[in-house]
Amino acid sequence: MSSDQDGVLRTSVATNGTNASTTKCTATVDERVEFAGIPLRNAVLTASGTFGYGTEFAPFLDLEKIGGFVAKSLTLEPRFGNPPPRIGETPSGMLNAISIENVGVRAFLEEKLPALPEGVVVIASAFGTAPEIYAELASQVSGHPRISGIEINASCPHVKSGGIEFGQDPKLLAELVATVRKATTGSLLVKLSPNVTRIADMAKVCEAEGADGISMINAVQAMEVDVETRRPILSNILGGLSGPAIRPIALRMVWQAAQAVKIPICGVGGISSAEDAVKFMLCGASAIQVGTANYLDPGVAGRIAEGLANYAARHGFARVADLTGALETG
Amino acid sequence: MSAAAPMISSIRSESLPIRGQGRVLSNVVDRNGRKLRLAVPDWPGSIPGQFVMVGTGATASVPRHDPLLPRPMAVYRDLGATPECRDSERAFELLYRVVGRGTTLLSEAQPGESVSIVGPLGEGFPVEESDAPALLVGGGTGIASLYELARALAATGRSTRVLLGARAEADLIGFDDFAALASEGVELICATEDGSVGVEGRITLPLEAALTESGPGALVVAVGPTPMMRACADMAGAKGVDCLVSLENPMACGFGVCLGCAAPRAEGGFSLVCKAGPVFDAREIAWEGLP
Repeated sequence: MSSDQDGVLRTSVATNGTNASTTKCTATVDERVEFAGIPLRNAVLTASGTFGYGTEFAPFLDLEKIGGFVAKSLTLEPRFGNPPPRIGETPSGMLNAISIENVGVRAFLEEKLPALPEGVVVIASAFGTAPEIYAELASQVSGHPRISGIEINASCPHVKSGGIEFGQDPKLLAELVATVRKATTGSLLVKLSPNVTRIADMAKVCEAEGADGISMINAVQAMEVDVETRRPILSNILGGLSGPAIRPIALRMVWQAAQAVKIPICGVGGISSAEDAVKFMLCGASAIQVGTANYLDPGVAGRIAEGLANYAARHGFARVADLTGALETG
Repeated sequence: MSAAAPMISSIRSESLPIRGQGRVLSNVVDRNGRKLRLAVPDWPGSIPGQFVMVGTGATASVPRHDPLLPRPMAVYRDLGATPECRDSERAFELLYRVVGRGTTLLSEAQPGESVSIVGPLGEGFPVEESDAPALLVGGGTGIASLYELARALAATGRSTRVLLGARAEADLIGFDDFAALASEGVELICATEDGSVGVEGRITLPLEAALTESGPGALVVAVGPTPMMRACADMAGAKGVDCLVSLENPMACGFGVCLGCAAPRAEGGFSLVCKAGPVFDAREIAWEGLP
């Protein structure tokens, strides 16, 4: 994928008709964005569940080159996931049904957070089976000086109880967001499920109940079958589809939500290049998250951040933030 | 389990993994398999048993997302600075078979093209001196995990025997390389189900004979299809012999974040094959829970 990005950079130089180097190009652009009250050095975050607890990427990526990351969803107690097979490949995508395997909130705060370099923006992700559990998680993490915000995982598509139940019912979602809102004064994000009929309605619920921002979309509920064994490819039968296959769906939903709410949106879903990131910002996202692409190329988020600034420079935007909603539809 | 001999631990490499592009030096047929030689800038070297995540085919000039995921493959032969290497490049080989779309594309990578890699990954085999023999059992592409291990064990002066099993002679990938290790003191035994090479039957036949002969201090290492590993582990266990295996679960990342490669542990819960393994003491694994 690095050659993809190189291609972008070369194009930009050629279009400008100058010898401007990448650094010179990006130096003229203000890369900083503010998302849901969180100041970010650039608009590129990485998505929960695809970035571990951050330190796993230290050999491949300078964590201070990206805007920040959303950590693996936390539960109150450590949790094991589903039996294998947990993942499978699909056309331009992958299916997973991990089921929120995580170290638990205590180990996260006491062991994982201190292992990260200072200056890395960390957003915690909370998962539970009841609004009170989410609220308890929020209150436990939100006072921590290293946590910049909390993202409610209201959309895990493959856990039998919790998660997606909240993300699919506007009333339950409202109750969840309202309950968590009372538990934290920090930046509160809600990660929405795409597995709904009207995404704009869900976005409006988040806004009405006091969320500071929306991350969207989580994985698309999906299924795949092995015809030789006549079995589903996942032990859980159903899983979440991610990767480039879902990007146009995510883009459509970001566009629809952005028309419906004023709170900022973080675009997620199949982003694997700077062009992909630009598309989400044009459709109304204020920041983006890189997910599945981190698996294929653990350094990709850093290059997407560079490419985003480069795109802004090439198209005459003084700030990357000015890309938000700059889609021409006339 | 606690009453039995202590578990053998896999070994963590001191090198950090890199993400890079391997320059294809060669990509040649090896019986019913293929051998891909890559030169990778700043390749830190691997320890026996480590693996890399390999892109499915040559890195294209335009983005390609299908197949999406890289494939985990053992470092077969770690060659260091060969004459073909430029500057900081170091070479290693992968031994693989064309089994699906990803490996078909990989088989089409031409010399001079690039293939993306992330590695070296995972924990490797312990290499210890001993008067008792090491019996390394390989089947399928699991054979690829044993080459550097066999050399390293033999270099300690340990009696090292490689037992390769296959359906037929044509499936014995890497055979010539292993046969050439005779000069380093590695003994090669083969079993084919059609009897075309070596013993006729499964590889557990010569393993049983070797175990009977070698006594309890021996070490069995089994890498291959799950039923083969499990049969070897059972046989070693019945004789009180330590057995290491290297698991081949599908994985998306290889460095501990996708959590896709979880293997069930005998004591409950899961271990990530990519981080805690791929090398495990066979007793750590709940074999019935592996797909």
